[in-house]
Amino acid sequence: MTTLAIGFILIAVLVILVLMGMQIAWALLGAGFLGIWLIRDNLDLAFRMLELTAYSGIADYLFATIPLFVLMGLLVSVSNVGRDTFEVAEELLRRVLCGLGVATVAANTVFAAVTGVSIASAAVFTRVAVPEMTRHGYRPAFAAGTVAGSSVLGMLIPPSLLLIVYGVLAEVSIGGMFIAGVIPGIMLALGFVAMLMGLTLVAPGFVFTDPAAARERRTLRDIEPMPLRVMLSKLLPIVVLVFLVLGGLYSGFFTPTEAGGVGAFGALLVALARRSLDRKRLWHVMKQTGAISVSILLLLLAASFYSRMLSVAGLPNAIADLVRSGGFSPVGFMFLYAVIILLMGMILDSTSILLIMVPIAAPIAQSLGIDLIHFGIITVLAVEIGLLTPPFGISVFTVQNTLNDPDVSVEQVFAATLPFVLVMLAVLVIVALVPSTATALL
Amino acid sequence: MADESSTIDDRGYIPRFADAPVGAVLGGVAAFLSSIGTIWIGLLMLLIVADVLGRNFFNAPITGVAEIAARSVVAIVFLQVSAAILQGRLTRADFLLRRIGRASPGAVNVLEIVFALCGATVLAVLLWASWPKTVEAWVTAEFFGVQGVFTIPTFPFRAITVVGCTVGALACLYRAGQSLRALRGAAE
Amino acid sequence: AAQQTVTVNIGSSHPEANIWVYAMKNTFQPEVDRILAEGNEYKVNWVEAYGGTLYKFTDTREAVMDGIVDVGMVGTVWEGATMPLQNVTYFTPFATSDHKMIIDIFDELTAELPELRDSWTAQNMVHLSSLITDSYDIYATFPVTSLADLQNRKLNAPGTSANWLQQTGATPVDGALTTYYTNIQTGVTEGALSFASGILPTRVYEVAPQLTRVGIGSMYFGGIAANKDFFDGLPEPVQAAFMEAAKATSAAHGQYVEDLANRAITEMQVAGLTITELPDAEKAAWVQNLPNIIEPWLEQTGDAGKVVLKAYFDALRERGVTPLRNWDEGL
Ligand code: NA
Ligand code: NA
Repeated sequence: MTTLAIGFILIAVLVILVLMGMQIAWALLGAGFLGIWLIRDNLDLAFRMLELTAYSGIADYLFATIPLFVLMGLLVSVSNVGRDTFEVAEELLRRVLCGLGVATVAANTVFAAVTGVSIASAAVFTRVAVPEMTRHGYRPAFAAGTVAGSSVLGMLIPPSLLLIVYGVLAEVSIGGMFIAGVIPGIMLALGFVAMLMGLTLVAPGFVFTDPAAARERRTLRDIEPMPLRVMLSKLLPIVVLVFLVLGGLYSGFFTPTEAGGVGAFGALLVALARRSLDRKRLWHVMKQTGAISVSILLLLLAASFYSRMLSVAGLPNAIADLVRSGGFSPVGFMFLYAVIILLMGMILDSTSILLIMVPIAAPIAQSLGIDLIHFGIITVLAVEIGLLTPPFGISVFTVQNTLNDPDVSVEQVFAATLPFVLVMLAVLVIVALVPSTATALL
Repeated sequence: MADESSTIDDRGYIPRFADAPVGAVLGGVAAFLSSIGTIWIGLLMLLIVADVLGRNFFNAPITGVAEIAARSVVAIVFLQVSAAILQGRLTRADFLLRRIGRASPGAVNVLEIVFALCGATVLAVLLWASWPKTVEAWVTAEFFGVQGVFTIPTFPFRAITVVGCTVGALACLYRAGQSLRALRGAAE
Repeated sequence: AAQQTVTVNIGSSHPEANIWVYAMKNTFQPEVDRILAEGNEYKVNWVEAYGGTLYKFTDTREAVMDGIVDVGMVGTVWEGATMPLQNVTYFTPFATSDHKMIIDIFDELTAELPELRDSWTAQNMVHLSSLITDSYDIYATFPVTSLADLQNRKLNAPGTSANWLQQTGATPVDGALTTYYTNIQTGVTEGALSFASGILPTRVYEVAPQLTRVGIGSMYFGGIAANKDFFDGLPEPVQAAFMEAAKATSAAHGQYVEDLANRAITEMQVAGLTITELPDAEKAAWVQNLPNIIEPWLEQTGDAGKVVLKAYFDALRERGVTPLRNWDEGL
């Protein structure tokens, strides 16, 4: 049997184990270990690679921001800053179809300008947005799906880790990548908003627990409006927090990586100022932070080990042969490429996909006359879809973990993010066919 | 406050010593490790803020924050993993499992035993592979950082992996035992 | 007679186009193939894993040592704890900007000095070929014409290079080639200590258009190495082919870095890079003001360190170099 065949069998093994309900981290680590052992016919090597991955696979400053963003989200939630903000949003967007869904997308768009990692957006907004949307009559799973779906904006609107990684691998201007991400990012945000509104019209049962009551609430005329003064005082803490983080970031006080630490600290100060934290409650929030973070980080570790097994199996080289083999037109090549990335996105984490694909594909794209910045945006869009697709969809896992609500299962969140995946696919096709969507601002 | 239902509570997974001595000790150790991990996250936040303030206002950045933060991620994971296992918080897609459970609760217990044993095996393998490196780190006084700028020994970090794997593997075995008992209880 | 096939796993933490990897793929592999084809006895089946798909840059030593790859790029610059001797250049700045000379010196010293050679063997590796950087200079938003220009500036200077800014009034800020761009763009830092062949692919010059030639010097970065167990198990003709190909690899690496650095300067100038030369007097003041940064390294490395430092500086002088500071003074 060829090494590649073993690799494909182990992909099937992984998918079956995950579907059977095995803890995903164990499935990835176990299948990865087995694969390296069999392919290189060397048990000792499998041991060493596992050790190496465990010791340094996720030893990265960037991953250290995950617990900090989780902490920030929990603090914003526990100090009721999130609730106040969403009350104002509900008031302002009461007549808008799916108002709080739109508010969540808008909030994610703003936060996307702070963080470079989608997981951070997912972690921050789960505890803030989902309970509030639920309180206002939205289905919990739909709310969770909205948070997971809109979290992908974090990677397309600068700053963005994936754009940086791509820029380095393909040797194009990182600043250029950032600018190129803006229009597709806005297209995505607007697409999400349009999709949410359309969905509310067409399938209100997908959105609300009680669609009739929601419609009634929306059309109600004689609700006493929230006084402006109350509105402003409710918004003040979030404005201060956003100003602190965005302002500090864009005036050069700290880096996007450091924004996690500073943001969590800012949220802590706001919570203390609002007297919503005693020592017991703070400890409780901290413990939750740890519990949520470990599941996410363990998954990242396991995924990076599994991707190393696929590399040992020769998958990158096989893909390179496939894309080189064929006399593709530029558009044909782009679509084959996007499909391969979408398939890889089902089982791998974003950075691993970029590491495998960009060095193979960028030279070919260039030889076909495709602009590498345009190509990068297509790459990142396709990779981002993988954050939302089963069986390995890290944004969905993050939301489900952070929510920790037994009534909201992983597959429900996956189902609720499906409309977001469709919007992303549509934007991907548009950007692929109309290069100026990426390059117009350059 | 909203959603107290989703709180994480030590009492939820640490049984009383009189009821289940093994579970109580294991749960206690896991809770202790996870507390260290929790405090670590807080310290990491303070370290980053101190570095930002020091760099911007006192021309005195803290050297090595990036490396320390990087190493901390791994430490935090292995300090928390056993508690996460005992709490059953590791991510999984259990829709099929729930359906199987409706038809045959026994089958679910069997699967749970298999899964827990897989987890225990993975962690035991990792423990086995990490042990020599940990000893070596101690013997050679291995460090990270730069001589003369900042140096931090790697031994504590490697030791945390070893301890985390050990307790984590035991936690998996304990969960397997629980499922086995449930299986037997149902059979009787 | 039928050729016998030897499988060699070769890989790196960095992509093929990277300065330290380029010659592995483009010279070492074809040279080994060519030499073995002449003998017509053996043939190599290369299994490539370039570009960090198997391990990260922090693990280059362990990857070769543990046999995850049989041949790999090893960045000793990241191995201050286990292979400190190789980092002598980073503790003795302002020696020479001639990177080909550094390759030459370290190929020679690694072959001749038991201290250096054994430090590879001790890590279960066989050193094949030396890797270097071109000269470190300042890429910043401002030109540096005197040391006063550095006062209260924040510059990316990770790891050992932080040492070089001591007593200059500038604040070293951690980072990596991949973070310089955004750091400088948002104002977290105002520049970086780096080298042309690294700055070009990351396009840092777009946000830091002022290059000041300081001549901190070319640095020994690491080596291409083979796993020792693997190497010892190779048939003798294959071992010989590796060693011969390694020589060609050293030469090709030096040439590639030179071409890339020259191309970098031209391309960056077209893109608006301004070049300033730091006056010699200022350069001298900078290096003389530095504290004795070699001291902690000598403490760590002991007698072996003294031997290596002395041999390195002797080799420099033999080649007609007058280092700006005699870091080996008093040995
Ligand atoms: Na972003
Ligand atoms: Na996925």
